[in-house]
Amino acid sequence: MKTFFWITSASLIAITAPAATEPPVPSAAPNSATADNAVYRTWTDTQGRKLEATFRGFQDGEVYLQVKNGYVYKLPLDKLSPDDQKVAQSLKPEGLGIPVDPTLAQAAAKIDFLVEAGLKHKDQKPNPLASDEQFVRRVYLDIVGRIPTREEALELINDTSVSKRAKLIDKLLASDGANSHLFNYFADMLRIADVANKGRFYTYQEWLKGRLQENVGWDKIVYEMMTADGKLLDNGATGYLLRDAGMRLDNLSLTLSTFLGANVSCAQCHDHPFADWTQKQFYEMASFFGGSETYGAKGAKGGSDKKAMAMAVRSLEDRRLQQQAKNLLRINAFEVEDKDENDLKLPDDYKYKDGKPGETVKPKLVTWSKDDTHLRAYRDVTTKEPAELRAQFAKWMTAPDNPRFAMTIANRMWKRAFGVGVREPVTDLDDPNTASNPPLLLHLTSEMVRLKFDLKAFMRLIYNTQAYQREATSYEFEAGTAYMFPGPVLRRMTAEQAWDSCATLAVGPAVDHFKSKRAAEYAKAMKIDFTASNLEEQIKNALTAMRGAAAAGIGGKGGKGKGKAAMRKRMMAQEEQGSEDGEILTRPPTLGGMVLARASELPQPEKDQHFLRQFGQSDRQIADSSSDEGNIPQVLMLMNGDAQAVIGSPRSLVVQTADKQATPEEKIESLYVSFFCRKPKADEVATAKEALAGGLGLSDLTWVLFNTREFVFIE
Amino acid sequence: MTSHLDPLSRRAFVERWAKTTLGVTVLHSASHSMLAAEKAAGNPAAGPGFGKAKNLIFLQMIGGMTHIDTLDPKEGDTKGPKDPIKTKAGLQLGGTMVKLAEQADKISIIRSMSSKTGVHASAQYLIRTGYEQRGTIKHPAMGAWVQHFKGASHKTLPSSVCVNRQPNNGNGFFPAAFSPLPILDPDAGLQNSQADVSAEIMQKRMALLDKLDAGFRSRFQTASVKSYTEFYENTVKIMSSTDLEAFSLADEPDALKEKYGKNKFGQGCLLARRLIEKGVRCIEVASGGWDMHNNIDEALEDRGAEMDQGVAALLEDLSSRGMLDSTIVVLCSEFGRGPKINGNAGRDHHPKVFSTMLAGGGIKGGFVYGASDKGGFEVADKGVTVQDFLSTVGWSLGLPIDEVVMSPSNRPFTVGDKGTAILDLFA
Repeated sequence: MKTFFWITSASLIAITAPAATEPPVPSAAPNSATADNAVYRTWTDTQGRKLEATFRGFQDGEVYLQVKNGYVYKLPLDKLSPDDQKVAQSLKPEGLGIPVDPTLAQAAAKIDFLVEAGLKHKDQKPNPLASDEQFVRRVYLDIVGRIPTREEALELINDTSVSKRAKLIDKLLASDGANSHLFNYFADMLRIADVANKGRFYTYQEWLKGRLQENVGWDKIVYEMMTADGKLLDNGATGYLLRDAGMRLDNLSLTLSTFLGANVSCAQCHDHPFADWTQKQFYEMASFFGGSETYGAKGAKGGSDKKAMAMAVRSLEDRRLQQQAKNLLRINAFEVEDKDENDLKLPDDYKYKDGKPGETVKPKLVTWSKDDTHLRAYRDVTTKEPAELRAQFAKWMTAPDNPRFAMTIANRMWKRAFGVGVREPVTDLDDPNTASNPPLLLHLTSEMVRLKFDLKAFMRLIYNTQAYQREATSYEFEAGTAYMFPGPVLRRMTAEQAWDSCATLAVGPAVDHFKSKRAAEYAKAMKIDFTASNLEEQIKNALTAMRGAAAAGIGGKGGKGKGKAAMRKRMMAQEEQGSEDGEILTRPPTLGGMVLARASELPQPEKDQHFLRQFGQSDRQIADSSSDEGNIPQVLMLMNGDAQAVIGSPRSLVVQTADKQATPEEKIESLYVSFFCRKPKADEVATAKEALAGGLGLSDLTWVLFNTREFVFIE
Repeated sequence: MTSHLDPLSRRAFVERWAKTTLGVTVLHSASHSMLAAEKAAGNPAAGPGFGKAKNLIFLQMIGGMTHIDTLDPKEGDTKGPKDPIKTKAGLQLGGTMVKLAEQADKISIIRSMSSKTGVHASAQYLIRTGYEQRGTIKHPAMGAWVQHFKGASHKTLPSSVCVNRQPNNGNGFFPAAFSPLPILDPDAGLQNSQADVSAEIMQKRMALLDKLDAGFRSRFQTASVKSYTEFYENTVKIMSSTDLEAFSLADEPDALKEKYGKNKFGQGCLLARRLIEKGVRCIEVASGGWDMHNNIDEALEDRGAEMDQGVAALLEDLSSRGMLDSTIVVLCSEFGRGPKINGNAGRDHHPKVFSTMLAGGGIKGGFVYGASDKGGFEVADKGVTVQDFLSTVGWSLGLPIDEVVMSPSNRPFTVGDKGTAILDLFA
């Protein structure tokens, strides 16, 4: 590959630094890696030196040329031979335009190289590159979780600069919407629920939102969850372990499949029927948590003194108060605490020869291959102290060279972009060689490590690939056969994407502004000092606060408060409460009684009848269980529910914008851009115009566009 | 080259292929003869109870129902918070099952169920479909199997409904329209069933929708796009039908609602009965919250009492309306719970032995099949697999449970994955 460096670095600036590892050279035709971007030509400079490269664009007097290994060079136009200067000024840029970042082009090209090698191996061709219209809709939905407004879509489509796609990706990744959408993904994966174990987990979700906002590395986020100590009311990170309070085996099973793609769950009860995991191994892993208490903390290490709490409650004379105090006590007892003793034992029905029922189990890490123990992640685990074990496990799990941690999150993030993981299901990476494209999976893993688990940097990389920016695959690939990524698959919007898009149609970008804040207020209200003398007063205060919160819908059981008026009232009350606290909360936009806040700021999960649930939002009982299936109640909702009414109402932004246009043609075009990010075709304009003349109004046309497959699917 | 075909044309393809090369029809009962060699269970072609049930109510206790405190009570060390109840019908029930005890003459209990999966999601999948969860195929739930063999149960109403749960691809590899219609809140019923514009405008809208979306539909002929189109067609059908009231509990007397229990499970049971009356064939009703790792006695006071009340009311109601003979009611959970009370006064997952309940559709009353050991740890007598259990349900519905049906990807499947129907359960 080095042979291409014929122009001296003085006359040609490589805008990508050569990375330490070169991509593997394709054994077959060298052009294969750039199949549909195959316009390679030989460029000649003023001194007669030659470079084989594809033209990526011409901007501000500089020509951008990409050579086959992905490097992108820029050079002043007048350095090219007169003939090639003409070519550069007349050629249409190939591919995706100019990348904005010097290191990005090559990193993305490496991924494309591996994707295309995989396609070639299966004798498949990549899809054509997506149009700007397809791209802008998809990239908004994928990064910020909603469709762009008409103006946002037109901004990209009408932008003539060659680096516009890359710039948009950066802009979106830096926006709040990206955090909201990423939270939705993890909320499904981690079963984030307002209420779990009869307690409220607001601190947990707001902690996670904060971590995503600060773009803390995935390794650090997970480490914090696994090692968190103290009360849920004080430390939201404890929410991960407390979500499964008193169920540490279930919790571990989920930890292993969610973060390490280790399909060990069967081993909780018996040796795994297909894989190599044994029940003993499972318990050896569980032993790392044998010194941690997640249910009924005993107060051994300065935690909550349960005895004192119970005594304080008994001292209350009023029976009703006593009962309510018990509830407060329970909420205050949500706590993770380390002990000096490891109480993890083999189960009473243990039947294998390598251990006896009831026997204590020593902590031992699983391996995926026999050389794993030489890895640093393993060598660092030394302690035998029960109270330290959990942290040791977390350190091993989140280490850069843990055999599966980086791979699992890389594969998940890839699936988020393409609709299919390189290895499916994403919770089973026991054998990476069974991935559809093993070299790609390994490369994505090393990129995740190189980027230090910075999820946004990783997303930036994959969204800048050609593979991502291709047209969606329009045919069905057979279940059970490997998908080789000729482009993303056609996906139905997630519930959150659909809801946030509805809100965008109705009120525009204002939907992004409202942030729900409940944790601080809740924690303040609920926290009781059970050793203080004014216990009765504290409890009464807490109960008053609790009732206020219930009325505001933030502390209630989420049950019967149906109806639009109630919803509106609740959100308004929430605002008032916030301001009492000196905290400024923007009121979420409402229209026709619907609270048009982003899904991430609404109750987790929403109530059964809400758009989000009807459209497949997970009930947060089972990990990764959101659904993209259609069904009759859902279609009834799309046809006759609140969302279509609000979007089609005269006060909705999309209708108002269209209405401002002068001619029917322009009105139709305005709606098309708002819903689909594209202009209508001539026959579509004619059909719509005829319908508008035949008794339908703009509101009906919004209904129609809202109910198309084109709206709910992501090209 | 089958990969670009949608499920229906792929099915047609498989069917044609089978006809020409094997001389059999893959999808209809005529294929018995050819594929008999694949029979593993060897169920007889007919016998006691076969086809007695026309309808199915499938009650799912989500989270792992403690067998010892409900259907398989124990004395001694592993006994739960309450003493067992001796019923007039002879069998014993857990102390919380006060009302069900009155209906014990209508039920059979299998006390020797066991499975290998102690993980909720995969165990729930198993007991709903009879198959282990795989990344490569979705298996049908019972309602879809019945629809496959018997056709739709009603002109406009869906053949299957699921209450308090998402359908989770209950159609399996059958067409999306076989997926149960979800009612997430039985009190609310089927929402949004009335258009907010006139029929004339709605018709114009639909016509325009069809035209403007045609380009997209022809460009993306994927299964999921097609299934949406199918759902729109079925939805329009249901909107224009007079049967919508089937989904509304408004007509049910308040006293009856009280009797079933004013909670999601109780009202779900009531809705199930109502839907059967109106022509829906299979209804799943879920009850969450059975994962009682902590403080099981408190938890049973809620969930256990709800279940007891709902099931008892359902059996009594079905029976008094003369519907019980033609409706099989089954109650199951993904696994049982450990006999030993853990450190948090709860019980942990226990797939090794657990219990299920059956009633109606020719099932014996006051009958117990199989047994767990003294403490409720292991199967002691006549072990029953999840496959046997589902095959029994299929048998009672008159399905050819040994018949191999090929999926569109050309893989062989049977109702209940080659289990053996337990004919002893039938009167």
